[in-house]
Amino acid sequence: MAGQTSVQKMLARAAGKARLEVGEVVYPDPELVILHDGYVETAYRELSGLGFGRIKNPERVVFVTDHEVAYGSPRAIDRGLNIRRIAKAWQVGHFFDVGRGGHGHLFPMEMGLVRPGMFLFAYDMHATNFGAIGALAMAMSTEITTVLATGSVWVPVPATIRVNLHGAWHAGAHGRDLGFLLAAGLKSGRWGVGGDYQVIEFGGAAVAGLATATRVALCNSVTEIGVANVLFPIAEFQSDADARYEAIIDIDLSTIEPQVALPGGPENAAPVSAAAGQRIDHAFIGACGSSMYDDFAAAAGVMRGRRVADGVRMFVVPGTVETAQRLATDGLSQVFMQAGAVMLPPGCGPCAGGLMAPLGPNEVSISTAATNHVGRFGSNEAKAYLGSPLTVAASAIAGRIVDPREMLAEL
Amino acid sequence: MRPPLRKRGFCHVFGDDIPLDEGIMPFRFAIGRVTDPKELIPHLFAAIDAAFPQRVRHGDLILAGRNFACGKAHMQGFIAMEALGIGVLCGSMPYKAHRGAVGRGVPILTGCSGIGEFAATGDEIEVDFSTGEASNITRGTARRFPPIPEILGDIVARGGLKGSLAAWLAEHPEMRAPIAAQE
Repeated sequence: MAGQTSVQKMLARAAGKARLEVGEVVYPDPELVILHDGYVETAYRELSGLGFGRIKNPERVVFVTDHEVAYGSPRAIDRGLNIRRIAKAWQVGHFFDVGRGGHGHLFPMEMGLVRPGMFLFAYDMHATNFGAIGALAMAMSTEITTVLATGSVWVPVPATIRVNLHGAWHAGAHGRDLGFLLAAGLKSGRWGVGGDYQVIEFGGAAVAGLATATRVALCNSVTEIGVANVLFPIAEFQSDADARYEAIIDIDLSTIEPQVALPGGPENAAPVSAAAGQRIDHAFIGACGSSMYDDFAAAAGVMRGRRVADGVRMFVVPGTVETAQRLATDGLSQVFMQAGAVMLPPGCGPCAGGLMAPLGPNEVSISTAATNHVGRFGSNEAKAYLGSPLTVAASAIAGRIVDPREMLAEL
Repeated sequence: MRPPLRKRGFCHVFGDDIPLDEGIMPFRFAIGRVTDPKELIPHLFAAIDAAFPQRVRHGDLILAGRNFACGKAHMQGFIAMEALGIGVLCGSMPYKAHRGAVGRGVPILTGCSGIGEFAATGDEIEVDFSTGEASNITRGTARRFPPIPEILGDIVARGGLKGSLAAWLAEHPEMRAPIAAQE
């Protein structure tokens, strides 16, 4: 009998089994169930329509408010009222209203609500972020209603791709750069595996030195290609030495150079030189993959004492209330505002469908958004590039897409 | 008692990499969020087999190769298949499409190799999804494919996710009452 991978071990524990094989289907018992403000009403309508007057284990349910935090329409105000009513009617255990918590893929880790080793369900696909601390959050999209109603939903045990990291980053390289490269390599079949419902498990000598923000950047950037999950396993759930992997990928961090994701998706990775010189109208640093304190500290290092180029509007979106407070206390907010950037409230920022600070037709943006498919944050006729916080900061200063190493060298 | 998941019908054999959009169903129905099976059925598989909508009968079976229903996981094709009582045997399916099809109540066997040798379009076959046993009645041959996992078989037999939720509620009537009203 082959050894078990981390995800096999974590799902086995959540399903109350001694071991599980890849492909087995189970009903794991979650410690938490997280929904964001965009889906609460739909879930309530569906379950009420079926005749459900209550939900199973409401004390484990978490409502977060991150997609639309500064109501921009009468509909949003109405939605907020409904969410408050539903939270009360269902008696959900953890309700984070406007201004509380911030981004639901980040603050639960910061405040210790989501903990290492935990198994949970979530609505939104970027709940893979929790893999950064070794928690396994399965994103169920609309099937989260089944979890609310019955306490669980079917989960097939995924196969695993192991990614071993070693070596050290060069200045200017960032977790998002490697994330884009991994997404591109999986999508193109470079390693003979595509990632479809497979877990990306990180290991190797360099992992111990990675900050949580870097781990989040890695978890987040490979999510959109359709992986089952991403994990930095904790000691208790490390894969066995003889565990079976679909592929083992070795990455030397010293080979990673700044990347952009060309418009269309985070998997469209290319060296910054492929887009260098592209004029921009819009830039933002934030969204679930890049809005922890370290991300802003890195960006502030580039922007300190410089000005955002004329004609470029730049937005800085701290992921959480706690991060926003730290940026204010440490003077980093001051750095961004002196540069001419606009501080937006904690949450998803423009990445949540452009409800805030969207793009117009034919405009060009570079940002740290979770994804950049057509129309993600505004006009279908806009072009959205992705980059690391360093690349976005440097490009906002230059007014065109630039390699951040040019500006780091000048410091 | 576990409800039987057996189907007998005529088969329609397709190759590898049949896309959901513009293969199983025109993309415009996904964009238009059309969910009425009556509107969808006349277009099912028509893009790759123009005669399919005329030829298909209720309870027929689709046999396909690897990566069946690839591309963006739009559900319109499965809505039409469920309404026609169609079952699927295929080499493999992308995860999201498979999950969506199960949720819509379409019985599916994945991991079926050598499907092209087992039957040709027009053959009458019988498939027991819960055991994976399949017989080609036209040819008098039989094969055993990997069965549908038990949990998925139960969901499909109840008509998909909605049916399963309704069944679950029937077994847990206490969930009908709001918490405050009871305690």
